[in-house]
Amino acid sequence: MTATGEPSPALREPSPPLREPAPLLRESAPSLREPWHDLGFAPADALARQRAGASFGMWIFIASEVLFFGALFLFYAALRAEHPEAVAAAARETNIVYGTANTALLLTSGLLAAIAARAAEVPALRRLVLVCLLLTAGLGLAFLIVKGFEYREDIRENLVPGPGFKLADRPTQLFFGFYWFATAVHGIHLAIGIGLVTRLAWKGWRAPDFLATSPQVEVALLYWGFVDMVWIVLYPALYLVGRAG
Amino acid sequence: MSPHIAQSPTALADPDELALGLPESYLAAGHTLGSWLTTTDHKRIAILYGLSITLFFFLGGAAATAVRLELFTPEADFVGSDTYNKLFTLHGVIMVWFFLIPSIPTTFGNFLLPLMIGARDLAFPKLNLVSWYLNLGGGLLAAVAVLAGGIDTGWTFYVPYATVFSDTAVSVAVLGVFVAGFSTIATGVNFIATVHLLRAPGMTWFRLPLFVWAMYTTSLIFVLATPVLALTLLLVLAERAFGLPIFDPARGGDPILFQHLFWFYSHPAVYIMILPAMGVISEVITCFSRRVVFGYTFMVYALVAIAVIGFFTWGHHMFTSGMSPYAALLFSFLSFIVAVPSAIKVFNWTATLYRGQIGFESPMLYALGFLGLFTVGGLTGLFLASIPIDVHVQDTYFVVAHFHYIMVGASVSAYFAGLHLWWPKITGRMYPETWAKFAAILMFFGFNLTFFPQFIAGYLGMPRRYHVYPPEFQVWNVLSSSGAAVLAVAYLMPLGYLTWSVFFGARARNDPWNATGLEWRTTSPPPRDNFLGRVAVLGPPYDYHPAGSPPTQDQPHLPTQESQA
Amino acid sequence: MSEAPTLRSILLRTVPVWLGLVALLAVSVLLAYRPLGPWNAALAFGIAGTQALLVAVPFMRLDTANALDRLTAACGLFWLAILFTLTLADVFARLAEG
Repeated sequence: MTATGEPSPALREPSPPLREPAPLLRESAPSLREPWHDLGFAPADALARQRAGASFGMWIFIASEVLFFGALFLFYAALRAEHPEAVAAAARETNIVYGTANTALLLTSGLLAAIAARAAEVPALRRLVLVCLLLTAGLGLAFLIVKGFEYREDIRENLVPGPGFKLADRPTQLFFGFYWFATAVHGIHLAIGIGLVTRLAWKGWRAPDFLATSPQVEVALLYWGFVDMVWIVLYPALYLVGRAG
Repeated sequence: MSPHIAQSPTALADPDELALGLPESYLAAGHTLGSWLTTTDHKRIAILYGLSITLFFFLGGAAATAVRLELFTPEADFVGSDTYNKLFTLHGVIMVWFFLIPSIPTTFGNFLLPLMIGARDLAFPKLNLVSWYLNLGGGLLAAVAVLAGGIDTGWTFYVPYATVFSDTAVSVAVLGVFVAGFSTIATGVNFIATVHLLRAPGMTWFRLPLFVWAMYTTSLIFVLATPVLALTLLLVLAERAFGLPIFDPARGGDPILFQHLFWFYSHPAVYIMILPAMGVISEVITCFSRRVVFGYTFMVYALVAIAVIGFFTWGHHMFTSGMSPYAALLFSFLSFIVAVPSAIKVFNWTATLYRGQIGFESPMLYALGFLGLFTVGGLTGLFLASIPIDVHVQDTYFVVAHFHYIMVGASVSAYFAGLHLWWPKITGRMYPETWAKFAAILMFFGFNLTFFPQFIAGYLGMPRRYHVYPPEFQVWNVLSSSGAAVLAVAYLMPLGYLTWSVFFGARARNDPWNATGLEWRTTSPPPRDNFLGRVAVLGPPYDYHPAGSPPTQDQPHLPTQESQA
Repeated sequence: MSEAPTLRSILLRTVPVWLGLVALLAVSVLLAYRPLGPWNAALAFGIAGTQALLVAVPFMRLDTANALDRLTAACGLFWLAILFTLTLADVFARLAEG
């Protein structure tokens, strides 16, 4: 064999493995996980990189979710373009009081989540973070309860598409197909968010430095913000159409 | 340095290439079933994926075999029309979502992406494991749908048939694909974050191997297209299982809107299948022609361009669906554009071969097969992007032949090219090269014999998705079914000799092909942490011979025990 | 990273945004009952877009996020624009044909 036996000069491998810092890192920063623990940075830097990684991953997921709900809104846009009168007639049947109250609840929960995300970086504010997290989850739960009352009223008023639907014009059923689908999918997202935030509060209460170090805080609260945004756009789509005139 | 021959099959192979005192390989890190099912090692997860997609590949292949068997004669003599519908639907659903889309990214991508960029693992190892379980769960749901009587909608689940009329197990199958969709999104998030954040020092963006670029661009499509499919399938599920009117034309719904949403995902999904294949081929062709890749930056831009432009062309699936003719014109034009970066890639691979020292090892045979099949598949795609021809051949075997040239001829060839190229790295074993070469050649001929006659039958007017057909098409179908038999043998052969090699194959050296990527700069198989010590990268990839340099004698060779001495 | 935030600085950065969000909600309810023709929808979704931006930028901290995160968010919107533009091009063309 006459091949150049040496490895390519472009790539070099430092031969003595420099692996001592890794265990130290693991001890000093319990929230560091593989593969972030072994990048050769000081603990604080490694932790910051891991947080940046988690946030970045969450933003990618949010971009993905934007397309998910975007496709839903595209369905709505096409529906409204094709059947403007039916959509207006059907949307008048939604309960704007419940809808508006729920919007206010979610906007407020978004405020508390934003406060929690910022305060989590300050270890001294741990109690505030815990309170904010619990209130955030509580407001989310309140949203779902209000939604439940609204559903009950909708069912009572025969707003479930199918035989015996309240309105005669058949495309109005399409709007309510969208209504039930969109609110259910949003509700599932919100329920997941409540679970994530409650879990944060639980872990933050059990482990004192969890909130200040774990990337999960930022991730869960970014998710909460996104679910908030979805509702903000759903609200005019469901409740504000056809109110005038 | 005293010669040190590793005793256990999974321990180190070649002591000459690295210092001694090495950590054990990832395969030796645990032998229990639990150690595999709870692993967060990207290499082990790649193996898990490899096993599950092999299972699905042969399940989908069995359905295809039954289809080709039925089409041997013009009459219905093997299955009835309902069963036939269920067979081609099963074939499509399994092959698209549970084999082709995960195939290269989740196996080679998982295994090699961290290795190629000098990382210890993917950015989110637990998410990676979750992703495998989701994929498997989705596949099992699809299998449940088969057991529950099958599905007859075709892999596209077109409404209103899928929502209002079909009385088969559509809901379960749709749920299965939906769950598998989360798996690909998770993989996409993981790959993008890894490429951005975990590159080794010196591994700049324009030093990334083209395979990594291919994984990155594929992940973009994973993340940005899959959610639209997920939502569309949920809408189908809501209409079908909960009776909500969504696309129901009887109540003013718009079934064409379903097709827009479906193809917004499913057209880019074709690029999910072909971009990773392009990545593999770039690695193989450079290695076995000993040449730096021709026009590296253009190859990168072409990958990005295909991924992005691929999102603008979905409407060419709908020319005859009642879409507006103005929109059809727009989509036709946009579809022609995507041919440009694809052609750049073919020309650059060819230019890489030019004056190279070409070795005909099995990975290269598959890669050369890819070049031919991809070119045929791509050029017939231009026929179909042109509206008048598309109207003529829509829903005929011409379309079937076209997309099989891309999805099977090109993608599966590339999958096998990669499998043979990286098998020594993944398992630490060499496979019998003569068998591999024979399988590669057989696959090329079997493939063309199966699918080229379908171009002719389709152009003559034979419609797809029928189990009976006019007798004048029989000659093409007999050719095609015979080719399918050859192809089946060619697909079964690697299963045999690769499995054999795991137990009896010769020990692989760390870099059996004299390749230059980072993945070859560690042991075969690599240790849990991938590298010994920290990695630093000092130069661009494909450090083979620069263009125009005189030939030398370093053809890739098959390592034998003698050559290692 | 700048100096550690205090409770006061956090509240100063978030509570006014919340007030703005609630005010916009009230405005959008009031406008919905005024007959403005096609402007009703434009205003309703314009306000919703502003509110969503207020959640994304100050609440989800896109303003201080690194360039990568901002680029990712922008990518989501760009691809959404592709989906909307090309699909609605067909929907409106079909409606125009009648």
